Amino acid sequence: MVMFRRFLSLSLVLLCMVLVTRSNLLDLPANASLTLVLGFLILAAYLVGFLVWKLGFPRITGYICAGLFLGPHFLKFYGPGVVNELGFLNSLALAFIAFCAGGELKWKNIKKNLKSIIYLISGITSVVFVGVTLTVYLLSGFLAFMDPYNSVTRLVISMIFGVIAVARSPSSAIAIISETRAQGEYTDTVLSVTVAMDVIIIVFFAVVVSICESMVSGGGSIAPSIILVLFFEICLSFFLGFLLGKAIIFLFDKVKVEFPVVIVAMGFMVIRFSHFLGDYLHEAYHINLNIEPLLICMAAGFTVQNFSYHGNRFLIRMDQVSLPIYVAFFAITGATINMEILKEGWILGLIIVFSRMLMIFIGSIASGRLSGDRPVIYKNSWLGFITQAGVSLGLLTEVVRRFPEFGISVQSILIASITLNQLIGPILFKHGLKKADEIGKK
Amino acid sequence: MKFLLTIILLTVISLIGSRLTFLNRKFSMGFQNILLTGTEYIFIGILLGQMGLGFLDAEAIVQLSPFLIFGLCWIGFLFGLQFEVRNIKKMPRFFFSITIVQSLLTFLLVSAAMTVVFHQFLEVKFSIILIIALTLGSAASCTAQSALAVVDRRHRFSKPRLLNLLRYVSGVDGLLALIFFTLALSILPAAEVSKVNFLNSLEWLGIVLLTGLIPGFILISISRVKFSQQEFVLFLIGTVLFCGGLADMLNHSPLIAGFICGLVTANFCRHHIRALSTVLQAEKSIYIILLLLLGASWHFSSATSLIVACIYFLIRLIGKLAGTYLAIQIWNPGFYLPKTIGLALLSEGGLTVAIILDFKLLYPMLADPIITIIIISIFINEWLSPRFTLAQFKKDQPEKKSPDRDLFLR
Repeated sequence: MVMFRRFLSLSLVLLCMVLVTRSNLLDLPANASLTLVLGFLILAAYLVGFLVWKLGFPRITGYICAGLFLGPHFLKFYGPGVVNELGFLNSLALAFIAFCAGGELKWKNIKKNLKSIIYLISGITSVVFVGVTLTVYLLSGFLAFMDPYNSVTRLVISMIFGVIAVARSPSSAIAIISETRAQGEYTDTVLSVTVAMDVIIIVFFAVVVSICESMVSGGGSIAPSIILVLFFEICLSFFLGFLLGKAIIFLFDKVKVEFPVVIVAMGFMVIRFSHFLGDYLHEAYHINLNIEPLLICMAAGFTVQNFSYHGNRFLIRMDQVSLPIYVAFFAITGATINMEILKEGWILGLIIVFSRMLMIFIGSIASGRLSGDRPVIYKNSWLGFITQAGVSLGLLTEVVRRFPEFGISVQSILIASITLNQLIGPILFKHGLKKADEIGKK
Repeated sequence: MKFLLTIILLTVISLIGSRLTFLNRKFSMGFQNILLTGTEYIFIGILLGQMGLGFLDAEAIVQLSPFLIFGLCWIGFLFGLQFEVRNIKKMPRFFFSITIVQSLLTFLLVSAAMTVVFHQFLEVKFSIILIIALTLGSAASCTAQSALAVVDRRHRFSKPRLLNLLRYVSGVDGLLALIFFTLALSILPAAEVSKVNFLNSLEWLGIVLLTGLIPGFILISISRVKFSQQEFVLFLIGTVLFCGGLADMLNHSPLIAGFICGLVTANFCRHHIRALSTVLQAEKSIYIILLLLLGASWHFSSATSLIVACIYFLIRLIGKLAGTYLAIQIWNPGFYLPKTIGLALLSEGGLTVAIILDFKLLYPMLADPIITIIIISIFINEWLSPRFTLAQFKKDQPEKKSPDRDLFLR
C-alpha cells in the first residue's frame, strides 16, 4: 500500500511535468523554469529514492538515477542549461557536506580507533594510489588522448588518476548510515576512515597536484620550494578553517544563530572566495597560492565539534535540513552525468573501477590484519570505501583548472568511473552493513 | 562574484537579523512597531540597492528571481495555511461582516482614487493605470497585526472583545486582499492587453487555480504515508518550489499560487498544523529578504510620487474608517465599539510587501511608482498605527496597570 501511494504521488508529479513541458495546450517557453525543475527534482528524486529503497537498494542510488533518467539524456524534462544553472547548489551542498564531515570527526572517537584508522588510511591510500597509477600508466599506450604526451606527462596524468581514485564520498557514507540507522564497530570504522580520508585526500591531492605541476613545468624535476608553498597552503587552510569555526561558535554563543543556512552560506563564500583568490593571484601577480576551501570548511566543522560544547547541537541542526540538500545534490549529480562521455569512456572507466576496487580490497584486508581488527571488520570494510561523489567531482574541476591542456580528457574518463562507483558503491556499502549486522541498530 | 556576494549578504543579514530584530526592546511604540515589522530592512535594502551602494542592482535582482519566486510562494502558502474554513466559521457573523466591508471599501476607494490620480500624472494606457490602481487597492485592503501586538504587550485591558475583533479583522482581511489581487490581475492578464475580455480572465483564473491546486494535492498525496520531520521539510520545500516554478513558467503569480496551495493544504491535509509550524520557522528570514528586495528595488524618480503616496495614505485611512463605521451602523455588534475603530487597522504588513514584489515580478516595468508609494506609506503607517490603536482601546475601556505602562508614559 505504501509503495502504491508513493508510486501514485510520483505519477502525479510526472504527469504534471509532462503537461507543463510536453503539452501544446499551453503556450509555454521551451525551457523549464529553474525553480520548477528544482522543486520537481526534489520531489521526484525523493519518491524514486523511496521506491528504490523499498526494493532493497540505498536511497541515494534512487536520487542519482532519478536525476539521470529525468534529465537531458533520457526523459528530457529539463535541458543541460538548467542543470548548469543549478550548479551553484553543488557548491552549497559541498560546503554543507564538508562542514558535516568535519563535525563528525570527534577526537574522542578517533582516539579509540586511532591505530585501526591509521593503518586503513595509510594502507588503502598507498595501495590504491600506486596500483591505479601503475594501471593507467601501463595502459597509456592504448589511450588515444595520451598519444601526444611524453612519458613524464603520461606519468603525471596517471598520478592524477591515482589520486582521484583515493577519494571517497563521506556524503554517501553519512547518507547511507543515516538511512539504514546503522550503528556499531563496522559503521564507526568506515565512517571515521571515510571522513578522515576526506581531509587527507585534500592534502594528498594538493601535494600530488603540486608535484605534477612542477613535473610538467620543470620537465620532470620538482622544485624544492613547492613543498614549502604546499605546507604553507595547508597550514593557511587549517588556520582559516579554525577561524571560521570560531566565528560559528561565536554566532552560537552570542547571536544565538544556529541556522544551518548561515553556515552553508559561509561555506559557499569560502569555496567561491578561495577560487577567486587563487585565480586573481595567478593572473595578477603570477603567484600560485591555492587555499583549499573544503579543507577550510572541514576544519571549521572539526573546530565546532572539538573546541566548543555546541558540537552535538551543530550536527543535529545540520541534520534537520540535510535531506533536501542531499536529495537535490545527488539528483543534480545524476543530472550532470554526461551519457556521451560515459559512452566513450566507459571501458577505461570500468577498468579503473575494477582496479580501484581490487586495490581497496587488498589495502583494507592487509591493513585490517596488521592492525588486529576483527575479521568481520577487515573482510567487509572495503565494501564501504567504493562510493565516490562530490569531493571527487570537486577535485576534478580543480584538475581542469590547473591542467587545461589534458584536464578535460581526464575529467571525462574519471566522471565515467566516478559515476559507476557512485551507482554501485551505495549498494555495496549497504551490503557491507548487512553482513556486519549493524543495520537498524541505532 | 557580485551575485555571490549578494546572495551571501542577503542570507546573513536576514538570518542574523531575524534574531536581532524581532525582539522586545523598550523604545517608543511607533519605533518598536517599526522594529517589530522589520521595516528598517527596507532602509538597508535602499542602502544596498541601485540608489545606494549598488550591490543589489537591477541585474542582481533579476538573477535573484528564483529566490524571490520561492519566497513569495512560501509567504502565499503560509497565508493560505492559516485559513481553515472551520475556524473562520466559528467567529461571530459581525466579525466577518466588518472585515469584508472595511476591506472592500478600502479596496474600492483606493483603486478609484489611484486611477484618477495616475490618469493625471502618468501618460500611459488606461489598462496599465487600472492594473497599478487595482494592485494598490489590494495592498491597501489588508492589515498587519504588529501594532496590535505592540499595544497588547504594553497594556493589559480588562475586556478582550476589541482585541479579539481587531485580531480577527487583521488576520482575515489578508484573505480578501489576495482575492482582490487575484481579480485585479485577472482583469487584464498582461500589460499589453488593452481591453477587458471575460473569457481571457476566466482562463487566467482557471490556470492560476490549477497552479495552486495541483501542488497542494501532490503534498497531500505524499504526506499520506508515515514520514519524519526531515522528510516533511523536504515535502514542503519541494512543493513550494514546484508551485512557484509552475506559476513562473505560466507567467502567473507565485504568491497567489502559493496561497491556493496553502488553502488546499489547510483544509484537506491532516498535517496542516505541523505544516504551519514548520513554514512559520522560515517566515521571518523570508520576510526580511522581501523587505530588503523591496528597498533595493526602489527607484525614486519624481517628487510627484511623494504627493501620490500621501494621497494613498489618506484614502486608505478614510477607507478603513468609513468601512468600519458603516459596518457598525448596519450590523449591531452587540457591544460598544468606538466609531473610529478603523484607525486601529492602519498597520501594513508583510502581505503588502509581498503583493508589491509579486506585481514587480509580473510587471517589472510598471512597478517603480507603486514601490515609492508603498515604502512611504509603510513608514508612516507603522509609525502612527500603535498610537491610533491605543487610542481606540482607551475609548473602549479603562486600562489595567501594566509593568511597561510607566515607561510608555515617560
